Amino acid sequence: MRRAALALGLVALLAWPWASPRYFVFLASLSLVNAIVAIGLNLLSGYTNQLSFGHAGFLAVGAYTAALVTTRWPDVPVVVTLAAAALVTGLVGLCLGVPCLRLEGLYLAMATLAFGFVVVEAIMNLDWLTRGNDGLRVPAARLGGIALATDTARYYLTVAVAALLILAALNIARTRTGRALLAVRESEIAAQASGVHLAAYKTLAFVLSAFYTGVAGGLFALVVGFLSPDSFDVFLSVDFVAMIVVGGLGSVPGSVLGAAVITTLNDSLAGFQNYRPLIFGAILIASMLFMPGGIASALRKLLLAGAAGHPRTGPPAPKF
Amino acid sequence: MTIRIALWLVLALVWAAFPASGQQPGVTDKEILIGGSNSFSGPLAFTGEQITKFGVDLYFKVINDAGGIHGRTIRTIYYDDGYRPQDAVANTKKLVEQDKIFAVIIPQGSPPVVATLDYLEENKVPLLFPYQSSPVTRSKRYVFQGMTLSDRSSKMMIDYLAGPRKLKKFAALYQDDEYGKSFLTAFEKDLGRFNLKLVAAESVKRGVTDVSAQIAKLQAAKPEVTFLVLVPGPAAQALRERQKIGWTDTLMVSTGPLTDERYLALAGDAAEGVEGLSLWPDPLLSDLAGAKLYREHMQKHFPKNEPNRYSLAGYFAGMLFAEGAKRAGRNLTRESLVAALESIKGWETGILPPLTISADHETQKQGFWVRVEKGRFKPLTDWLKSE
Repeated sequence: MRRAALALGLVALLAWPWASPRYFVFLASLSLVNAIVAIGLNLLSGYTNQLSFGHAGFLAVGAYTAALVTTRWPDVPVVVTLAAAALVTGLVGLCLGVPCLRLEGLYLAMATLAFGFVVVEAIMNLDWLTRGNDGLRVPAARLGGIALATDTARYYLTVAVAALLILAALNIARTRTGRALLAVRESEIAAQASGVHLAAYKTLAFVLSAFYTGVAGGLFALVVGFLSPDSFDVFLSVDFVAMIVVGGLGSVPGSVLGAAVITTLNDSLAGFQNYRPLIFGAILIASMLFMPGGIASALRKLLLAGAAGHPRTGPPAPKF
Repeated sequence: MTIRIALWLVLALVWAAFPASGQQPGVTDKEILIGGSNSFSGPLAFTGEQITKFGVDLYFKVINDAGGIHGRTIRTIYYDDGYRPQDAVANTKKLVEQDKIFAVIIPQGSPPVVATLDYLEENKVPLLFPYQSSPVTRSKRYVFQGMTLSDRSSKMMIDYLAGPRKLKKFAALYQDDEYGKSFLTAFEKDLGRFNLKLVAAESVKRGVTDVSAQIAKLQAAKPEVTFLVLVPGPAAQALRERQKIGWTDTLMVSTGPLTDERYLALAGDAAEGVEGLSLWPDPLLSDLAGAKLYREHMQKHFPKNEPNRYSLAGYFAGMLFAEGAKRAGRNLTRESLVAALESIKGWETGILPPLTISADHETQKQGFWVRVEKGRFKPLTDWLKSE
């Protein structure tokens, strides 16, 4: 059942550019990039219960790293570029994760929020490197001598990377590390009593989350083709949190769905101009009221109700 | 059954992706569709709404009421990008690939516009009158620049101040980005022609509100003229700071914030006596025929919206597009529009001096000198040229 669903999803993803208009190929790439960020954020917030409002900052670090690598060394294969973006961002995650160990709840949210602003300021002030407010054009990346210059090429790159990262995330939950992270979410004291090294796993969650977001940042740079500090404002971080809350905290499919929903929503509401933030907010409130566990748990309930003939309650929504 | 439905769906999608060939995007028998990504939220939301809904659309209402252009009415679509480049890219792709617009009109801000520049040029979609002043948009086949580019503004300012006004010591307070630096480079070059140099230049990072240190350093250099190359917030701050420390023996000359009186309110009476280059005639008081018509149309369609330079700029962009489409004739294509716009020579608009579009594709190359007196601009010169 699960495997069939995965296979079907993969086929649909691969066939997408042939079945849909060009613009939706771009939009799907953007959705997948956001899905990777959402999964990364979910590893931190959904699995380990560490709330972050600074993931736009991580995305920016990954994006600028990838952009600078492709600009300086145009012949570097895209895999190396993305790996560089992931490593640099992971390192930044480590540097942020260690001092943030002592912080919880709102205080952690504040610290990560500040991190987002610091990154944007740093991009503006390091203009010899990042071209500051003027923005940076990102040339097409290369893979085995071919330039990934079309929306379709970039889409397939995004699909491949996203598939790998989704599989990895699905499996993390089943490993020792994943169980330890989940234990930290349920109760830090209980987890510690069962022999989970709290500091190490919290830091690991930060690094993993940053790693995912760094890869997404690299893809973001290639898909969008232009970076500026204006790209990574605090509202983007809030969008990421909205994705995992709407999709379902602690759920990988939920992250993907949440990212798709928020990305599509953002895009289709652009035509409402001044009313966009208002409508967006209303939809978020409504989905919180009617789907408190996110899309993932609502779907699960629906499936269970269909299979057993009567509704059952899903797992309780995680608390902050 | 399910498979059959799926097949039909796929077919429908493929069909939708490839429209009938030979047809010009955005042009039908009855309609011309154009649009753009703009700021309806974020830092430039006010400007964005004024140039589009109360500017471009105002003129198109007038044209459509009079029967349109060669039997076609004009319709516009705008999407909000909130000044974020990636949203501008997404919106622009959507406009070109989904909505199939004929041309992009008056998108705003350097980062969003630059982010879409290559894409539009590759796809041969006309980018009409972008509302930003960085010279990167100059001399591109499918781009017609709107706002006066920064190097031209600089030339007019220096020629006037170092020429007829005979001023010699210049300093600048500039925003540390493309906008500020493009002016700074141009100032240095233009002063060089008069064998002059900037005696001091201080930078301000974007988003900074305290500029007291910079003002103190500039005062120490004793310039006769101090250029403010800033955005409204910090510029107002600089003016108030100068008033506070009683620095009166310098002439403050502003580039950006002087585009509309509305922003003078930010500085209050500290703005009195500031001079600068105005790109548009006074939207409230000008006696020019075109400006009067603009006020009439605004009164008729949006009586509650006070005339301002932003909506006037949008109105003018609408006018210019309509003129191009008229000249292109019934057979309107992107190529024929480019050719038609290039054919505009000495055209009377009633708002700006006679307009000639040459190979550089710039539509606005002049301004006139103004001074702030009692909260409004008082014109001091006729139109200055930058050729």
